[in-house]
Amino acid sequence: MKLTRKELLGGAAAGALGAAGIYKLVDELAESPPRAEAGELREEQYLLSGMKVITHEDVEVVEPPLHHQVVTGRLAVEARRDLREAQQVLEDALAAIEARYEPSPAGLAVTVAWGLPYFRRVVSEPAEQHVPVDRRASTSADRPVSALQDAQRFPSDPETTILEANDVVFLLRSDEREHVADAARSLFADTDGLFDLTSIRKGFQGGGFSGGPGLPKSMATAAGIQGADLIPEGSQLFLGFTSTQRDTQGQSRIASFETLGLVDVRDGYFRGGTHMHLSHLFENVEAWYLDFDYRGRVDTTFRPGFEAREGAQTLPQAPEDAASEADLKGDFSRTGAIGHSGSIQPTSRLQMDIKGADGETYARGSAIPLRADFNTLDNPFFWTSDPERDRHSEQPDAGLHFITFNPSSDDFRRNRLAMDGVLPDGTELPLEARSRAQGLNSVLRTTHRQNFLVPPRSRRSFPLVELVR
Amino acid sequence: MTWLPSAGVRKALLIVLLALASAGCSMGDDGVEATASAGEQPAACPAAWKPGWQKLADDVGTRVYCPSWMPSPIDAEIGGQWNSDGVAVGKDRSYLAGFLWHEAGSGDVHVNFRGYPGKTAVPRCVEMQSSGGQTRRRSVPCFSDPRGTREVGGKTVTVYTVSRDADQWHVTYTWTENGSLYAVSEHVAPPLTFRQVLKNLDRIVGGLEGIEPKA
Repeated sequence: MKLTRKELLGGAAAGALGAAGIYKLVDELAESPPRAEAGELREEQYLLSGMKVITHEDVEVVEPPLHHQVVTGRLAVEARRDLREAQQVLEDALAAIEARYEPSPAGLAVTVAWGLPYFRRVVSEPAEQHVPVDRRASTSADRPVSALQDAQRFPSDPETTILEANDVVFLLRSDEREHVADAARSLFADTDGLFDLTSIRKGFQGGGFSGGPGLPKSMATAAGIQGADLIPEGSQLFLGFTSTQRDTQGQSRIASFETLGLVDVRDGYFRGGTHMHLSHLFENVEAWYLDFDYRGRVDTTFRPGFEAREGAQTLPQAPEDAASEADLKGDFSRTGAIGHSGSIQPTSRLQMDIKGADGETYARGSAIPLRADFNTLDNPFFWTSDPERDRHSEQPDAGLHFITFNPSSDDFRRNRLAMDGVLPDGTELPLEARSRAQGLNSVLRTTHRQNFLVPPRSRRSFPLVELVR
Repeated sequence: MTWLPSAGVRKALLIVLLALASAGCSMGDDGVEATASAGEQPAACPAAWKPGWQKLADDVGTRVYCPSWMPSPIDAEIGGQWNSDGVAVGKDRSYLAGFLWHEAGSGDVHVNFRGYPGKTAVPRCVEMQSSGGQTRRRSVPCFSDPRGTREVGGKTVTVYTVSRDADQWHVTYTWTENGSLYAVSEHVAPPLTFRQVLKNLDRIVGGLEGIEPKA
């Protein structure tokens, strides 16, 4: 029997879902950290319970799960009746996974999010009424602006950056690779026929705080990445600095749509949900370590002149030290350059104390975005349904699958623009794209971007389908 | 009974295997892989290269170091095919002898020899940064990010992984002798990897011949 291209792709994707590839080494090179007990399943499906906070170089650091997998897809069903059935099938499949694993890094966390093509094509009418509206962006535009917008290319992105149009994305996270593999296999077996998978992306995070060379250096070395020898021992990421300081991660429910009041959740259908940006970028590890010395790497990762002990990897990012817009302009005026953290902080940190809709008070300087990015050796993906479009290669390359949860597309956009020197007050610092003055951006190359809406757990499966007439 | 190593032992073994993936390697005190210098290389500066290095020693009035080996395809003949501009000698007698092969699409092989007679401190370079139509200059060390020291050819060399000016993107070995600083660097660029550059520098510095100025 001759298989169709679709059947062939489906078979290849199914094999790739559980395949380990080079990531099998993660289990050999790193041990799972002890974890706190998982609590109840939260309505905010993007939040992970049971996370461990350790102190590294006198800074509190959140230890993320070791294994990460992202699966994107398009719907293979469109008819209304089929969609309602699909909603139940997906929910049952997710519930079955939750019954097997506790919702923590020791078990498994699954997050489901939906892209604009889904809302526009499948549930357009109810989406008009229920998808949250970004109050701040609406005021700026003088018209209602949805909290979920198309992704865009930013000034430092190359023209080749692909803006994706997936219907759905699944994020699976665990300290145990087999949990991720098992959940991915069963999820897409149980929902067979609902989705045409478009990409599978894998990677790892951490594993270096207990001594030794650390996961990024060991994995890059094993993969033959140029410059792998230059990665400092014990670093959390390829670029040598810790990025999950507790103070850099949005705490509690701050990133949920409704918490800060940036977004109008309307009738509350998506209350407890959030926005997710997903991108992939390559990191030129060799250029980073041969072109920037330690001082230069601190200046560009944090702020020009940022205080750091030579060789330190985990630097404090306390709320009270967050850079303001004036600080950023001052840095640029003084040095002609901006730093990565410093440039984002005027937009990513609270400018005043705010009592959230969840009853918590979030202090001035608190981080709003909750990042879930992880290093990868995918080039650019572990598997893709369109190798030509995605310029896929089997040769490993160093990169990052960047994931961040913000209250809206516009909130993410503001942060990302600031990274390129475009400030909220309209000031555009004259930085040449990917120049040394843009620091970190000079060694990064973004290949793909897309925005998604993360519904609350109770509405994660085909949101709004039940309202389609 | 079959012995099965524990997870911790398996992890340690794997790390060792990864570290030894390239043949003939040992670890330096900096954790950067070191190679034993080749034993079969000639110990002396080749006769064809010697006159140029002798003239340099005479010009700067102090000992210079001529290599006995260079990475293919270049040699170290001053004024030769790979060094058409000769040696740049400063007012302070510091010098730069660079040897370069470059082929578009293939990459380059570029080795620099430097000496700073009477000075042992790492020299300063000017780093320029342009943005918004303005160029800012600042003084920075010419060699930075030291990755420890290693013994090569009887010399204790410091390995720097960030270099400036004509040594941009080079790995640089420096050592001091008789009150002077010497540096040999090689560009990390295709077709060479960082590891290959370290091996080349080990071999170059391990086979240097000191050339004294004639009285």
